[in-house]
Amino acid sequence: MASVAGSALSFARPVKATNTNSISLTSARKGNAFLRMQPVPMRFAVCCTAKKETVDKVCDIVKKQLAVPEDIEVSGASKFSDLGADSLDTVEIVMGLEEEFKISVEESSAQSIATVEDAAALIDRLVAAKSSEKPSGKPLE
Amino acid sequence: MHHRLLLLRRGAMSIPPPPAPRMPGVAGGRLFASLPPPPPLQSPREVHVWYLCPDELIDRSQLDMYTELLSPSERKNALAMNGPRLQKDAMLSRALLRTTLSRYTDANIDPRSFEFKKNKFGKPEILWQSDESSMEWPLHFNISHTSSLIACGIAMDTPIGIDVEEKKRKTVKSILSLARRYFTPLEVDYLAKISDSDAQQREFIKLWTLKEAYVKALGRGFSGAPFNRFSIQLETNSRIQISKATKVCNDSASGCDYLSENWRFALAELNSSYYMSVCIEDNSRGLYSLFFLM
Repeated sequence: MASVAGSALSFARPVKATNTNSISLTSARKGNAFLRMQPVPMRFAVCCTAKKETVDKVCDIVKKQLAVPEDIEVSGASKFSDLGADSLDTVEIVMGLEEEFKISVEESSAQSIATVEDAAALIDRLVAAKSSEKPSGKPLE
Repeated sequence: MHHRLLLLRRGAMSIPPPPAPRMPGVAGGRLFASLPPPPPLQSPREVHVWYLCPDELIDRSQLDMYTELLSPSERKNALAMNGPRLQKDAMLSRALLRTTLSRYTDANIDPRSFEFKKNKFGKPEILWQSDESSMEWPLHFNISHTSSLIACGIAMDTPIGIDVEEKKRKTVKSILSLARRYFTPLEVDYLAKISDSDAQQREFIKLWTLKEAYVKALGRGFSGAPFNRFSIQLETNSRIQISKATKVCNDSASGCDYLSENWRFALAELNSSYYMSVCIEDNSRGLYSLFFLM
């Protein structure tokens, strides 16, 4: 499943494209439905690419929790499993992220998070969902 | 691997003295020939745990031999780990698993031959070939590691989960804040009553390893079986109980049908620095034994 350029689709969760060959699009125009088949690049998603500053903050929290040596790089592409995080590290990282971003993360979301970038994308989505709930429409502090 | 043998058995039997340490053979084919065969797994109530400390294994040629036992994808995954220390741990973890499994097939199956699959939550299991000439062994295993110790638990005919943690592992967050976020109210109360902070931290680690061992035995892992849906109680007569947290389960959309209470726990200290929890399914009454093999 992947997002389509030019459409405002929202996703239940951050996704990776599993099929890069084709996607189908049905137009909502009455009486004129059509299918468009076109290739889309992997992981292209208007709403689901994490902001750089979120990725950076996640990297900082992860590095601190795991006491990663200076010469080892942690970036958006870093997989949590490759960083040697055990379950206790993971929950502390999640708590740190919840506190930093004022969000709450379901345990089951962890199943879809493999990389730092995945975590950042989830955070961005949760933060956006939270701010859209605010009646005043004011941005979060 | 430096294998030292220590037998611990619950019940009325006396503990035999540990045999003298044995060093593994160096030549590739005889890598484990000098190790004694493991004691047989006599029943589904018996669990054997083998462990090693990576820091003790520094012989490059020996490490290379262990690496040679791995499948190409295991080698690739190990090399993808962030840094030489984690890479070494990953290699040793797979080597420990393969060699241990081989020994429990009376060395009928070469360590290199094992294949593995993962269940839908990512728990690894043995994938037996559907070839008529090879036997299947009803072996179940689970692995846990800390930065300084890797443990492999083996059981026959029963799912198993194991978790090891340093007793003194320091957390970044406070114990009670972690407990409030992840544990049940019953468990938070238990911890909150402990006034000495070191003792409280140790009890937290015990509960953590017990809960981890359980969700790993279930085959669901932490994200498939959230910790706040079941309580583990450490009773004073050292019987460990598990119970569903009914209120949370009733309130949750997905419920807790996957949680069962017929599981047996053992909690032990390893090397005086670690807590280890083991969990197996409890399908029969009777004495359970747990062997620790270093």
